[in-house]
Amino acid sequence: MPNVLTKTLWDSRRSLTGFAVGTALVGTMYAGFYPQVADGAMGQAVEGFSPTLREALNMEDIASAAGYLGSSVFGIIVPLIAVIYGIATGTRVIAGDEEAGYLDLLLAHPVSRTRLLLHRCAALAIGSGILAGLVLLAMLAVRPSARLETISIGQFAAQSVALALLCTLFGAIAITIGAVTGSRAAALAGSAAIGVLTYAANTFASQIGADSLRHLSPFHYYIGNEPLRNGFQWADLGILTATIGVLVVLATAAFNRRDLTS
Amino acid sequence: MEDVIQLEKLTKTYGTRRGLVELDLAVAEGEVFGYLGPNGAGKSTTIRLLLDLIRPTSGRARLFGRDPREHAVSLHRRIGYLAGDFLVDPRQRVGECLSFLADLRSDVPRARIEELAARLDLDLSVRVKALSKGNRQKVGLVQAFMHRPDLLILDEPTSGLDPLVQQTFLDLVREAKAAGQTVFMSSHIMTEVEAVADRVGIIRGGRLVALDTVARLRDHARHRFEITFTGPIDQAALTTLPGISDLTVDGATARFALATEPNELIAVLARHQVASLRASEPDLEELFFTYYQPTEAAKEASRA
Repeated sequence: MPNVLTKTLWDSRRSLTGFAVGTALVGTMYAGFYPQVADGAMGQAVEGFSPTLREALNMEDIASAAGYLGSSVFGIIVPLIAVIYGIATGTRVIAGDEEAGYLDLLLAHPVSRTRLLLHRCAALAIGSGILAGLVLLAMLAVRPSARLETISIGQFAAQSVALALLCTLFGAIAITIGAVTGSRAAALAGSAAIGVLTYAANTFASQIGADSLRHLSPFHYYIGNEPLRNGFQWADLGILTATIGVLVVLATAAFNRRDLTS
Repeated sequence: MEDVIQLEKLTKTYGTRRGLVELDLAVAEGEVFGYLGPNGAGKSTTIRLLLDLIRPTSGRARLFGRDPREHAVSLHRRIGYLAGDFLVDPRQRVGECLSFLADLRSDVPRARIEELAARLDLDLSVRVKALSKGNRQKVGLVQAFMHRPDLLILDEPTSGLDPLVQQTFLDLVREAKAAGQTVFMSSHIMTEVEAVADRVGIIRGGRLVALDTVARLRDHARHRFEITFTGPIDQAALTTLPGISDLTVDGATARFALATEPNELIAVLARHQVASLRASEPDLEELFFTYYQPTEAAKEASRA
């Protein structure tokens, strides 16, 4: 009886559609600039940057399709929107609905807390999958006209799967903070802070000589090994998935233990 | 008969704030129980403990003889719950919301939802956000009653309802009682509880301060008397009556309240010429207030 799952997805249809279409559109728009970049305009601009900055922004190889998409589209803009979607959705799962007073009624029904949480986590994962899937379709649609054929469909798919997992992971972080605290503000602020810190850790770790720091960042497992160039990075995807699993287990345990706030 | 609700020394503290203090209470199968108290007395705390939304600090609760936490899902199948402020995502339609909640339980026929909605004059096709507070509460009533649960837990169910709908609500409670369902209903309004409840518990400051049938509570209530004498009033005799209060003498008329059986009063009156005597119905609302107000001793304690 998966109706908590379907109801959660149905209720979030507007925000999910908005985020998915928005991410895909912004992604294709940026991808569409690639021909100009390949023709050297961007390359000349980037040459003016210092080598450190180029390395930080992952722009050493801006002229290749994988280099350009990896630094701009999949490096900043698409994961940014996807992570915002994940955090917004994850915050609502427990803490948001709890503070709004909606959870009392649901949990007074024959629905265990574990079931509620798992169904809503599944809805988050499916939503993230839909978002990443739409980004993938959009990329494949503009691939010929934007001269992106050097990236294979499989490589695009690999990056999109990593995107879905990244989005789910940040949702799971928000869910876990919400499940432990019951506070919407804590879930939102906590997961956003983790997002900013881990993005910075992945981007600037090698500049400050703390290369191992980036291994703490989900963004490293999302794009560090360049799926757009190297295809599926199974170890990275496995680490993202395992982290999500651990967070869901923690969230379930915490949520089952505490009082609901009224 | 089996006790449907059984509370043993149930205690809940929130940090240092007391919610409930060693509450003992049993509600029998088929009973309509009125749970009264002012706001913040611990009514909702009790109900949230029963529903496993919060957990007791100590003591224990049993529903149908089972632990509310361990058997939450199977117990909730047998329970209909209505919160005083019925909250759901306001963007959904009423019918959509009720179908979803019905699907969480099995065996709720669509016709039952429509029947209840029609009785309460509730439009199933509008969005929840378009409803007034009273109409939103009707959605709550439908979902609480629709699966004919063995136990109805209603937390201030009539808040926001107009008098006509309140009558429909009381009818629903009477029908539930006739069908053998148990009703646990909190309120801070005496009259609505009085109309349907078999027994009433009054809670104040997390403690049960009165527990009895409505009839017996009524016996202990203060009766108001208004007596006009033809001769002079023997005020001294009246003031010494046990249980007398609020005595005022206005010419030949004495007005007072009496909290005991009127035997002694009749003995006094027998020695006088009485022109007219009026005794009003015991005022439960007033009784209710005497339980609500902190006792002198409690006031002293809080001052100390």
